[in-house]
Amino acid sequence: MNIQEYISSGIVESYVLGLADEAERTQFEQMCTQHTEVRAARDAFELSLEQHAMAAAVAPPARVREAVLQQLAAGPDGDAGKMAAPVVQLRPVKRGAIPMAMRYVAAASIVLLLGSVGLNVYYFNKYQDFSKRYDQLLAQQTELAKNNEVLQTKLGNYESTVQALNSPYMAQIKMEGSAVPASPAPDGKATILWDTRTKDVYLMVGNLPQPQAGMQYQLWAIVDNQPVDAGMLDMDKGLMMVKMKNIPRAQLFAITLEQQGGSPTPKGKMYVMGKV
Amino acid sequence: MGITLTYTEQELVSLLRNRDNKAFAYLYDNYASALYSIVLQIVNDAELANDVLQEVFVNIWRRIEQYDAGKGRLFTWMMNIARNASIDTLRSRGYQNSRKNQSIQGNVDTLQARDVLQPGVDTIGLRKMLEKLRAEQRILIELAYFKGYTHEEIAELEKLPLGTVKTRIRSALIQLRGLLK
Repeated sequence: MNIQEYISSGIVESYVLGLADEAERTQFEQMCTQHTEVRAARDAFELSLEQHAMAAAVAPPARVREAVLQQLAAGPDGDAGKMAAPVVQLRPVKRGAIPMAMRYVAAASIVLLLGSVGLNVYYFNKYQDFSKRYDQLLAQQTELAKNNEVLQTKLGNYESTVQALNSPYMAQIKMEGSAVPASPAPDGKATILWDTRTKDVYLMVGNLPQPQAGMQYQLWAIVDNQPVDAGMLDMDKGLMMVKMKNIPRAQLFAITLEQQGGSPTPKGKMYVMGKV
Repeated sequence: MGITLTYTEQELVSLLRNRDNKAFAYLYDNYASALYSIVLQIVNDAELANDVLQEVFVNIWRRIEQYDAGKGRLFTWMMNIARNASIDTLRSRGYQNSRKNQSIQGNVDTLQARDVLQPGVDTIGLRKMLEKLRAEQRILIELAYFKGYTHEEIAELEKLPLGTVKTRIRSALIQLRGLLK
């Protein structure tokens, strides 16, 4: 390539004014290092351009100078917007590298935490289960204690019944259905225990049919052919001795079926009777 | 200290690289006007040019490490920073959009009237010299230098072969060099 032709091709001006493309720039820079003429031509054009620009200079407003210098004084990097606005630089908080050992400790603590949470859930479920079972046992125990109390009472009653049966002061009067003509329960049985000292009357039902609803058995003492109310029967007491009324004297005891609550004089049918 | 405020380019660059504020003030005082003129010729708006000039000096301050004296004079380097910043500003801001329809898509006559023959700005610097070029050359320099289009873009815009664009630009530049002397 002819150097003079190259210089006068317009490449010098194109390069200096920034119009050359990448390939042209690379080539031109290489030519400058190899050929002093090229470099001299470049220097000459640059100088004339600079002189011309200086001659054509237009003074900017003074405030631009202030803004520029202020912006640079604010920081060596002048990392600001175009106007000299105060700049707050946000820097990431620097943290030291976390040692590997600490990472393991952190990982281990997370594993332990997860394990602990799991155990908590497990034991809480267990606790709820046991708590429920405890409540059930407590209810059972209360029920048993109540039953026990009932049994104790029953037992006490039986004991006093047995005692009374064996007592020499207790007169026994057997009442039977067979003794009553046209008794609804010919095989009915009941026993009167009559304390000869206190004149208290006790009754033990042996066999009487369950009365229908609204009806109740009533005990009568027949004194000088007059029936005297001796008390109402509770069939659910069974064979136990039940204290009735105090009867000073009587010739005969009988049981009739009356309205619930009893009657002043017997109206219903007689079931059993026994002579004193 | 600082009484003799004249530095060689080499000294100045060295001081700037040491972040010497006085040297930077000197740089501004000596070159701001010449660079402002270049910015004005491109952005053609005084307020906008103030902002661009400020950006230019911030860029010079930041990029002084990148300046390579082997590739050209300091002023040439600064001039290209000024030109690039001005063109970037034109291309952003939507400022360009308002003019684009007229200057790029419009015909050559519109381009000449509105962008080449701007009253005021065309009386300074390279723009003043453009008047002495032929219209066909003037438009290409306008697009390439003042608008920052690549040769390929200009070829497309002006519906000319790429080779023709290159040849015309080169010959226009050679003419401009003659005018500078």
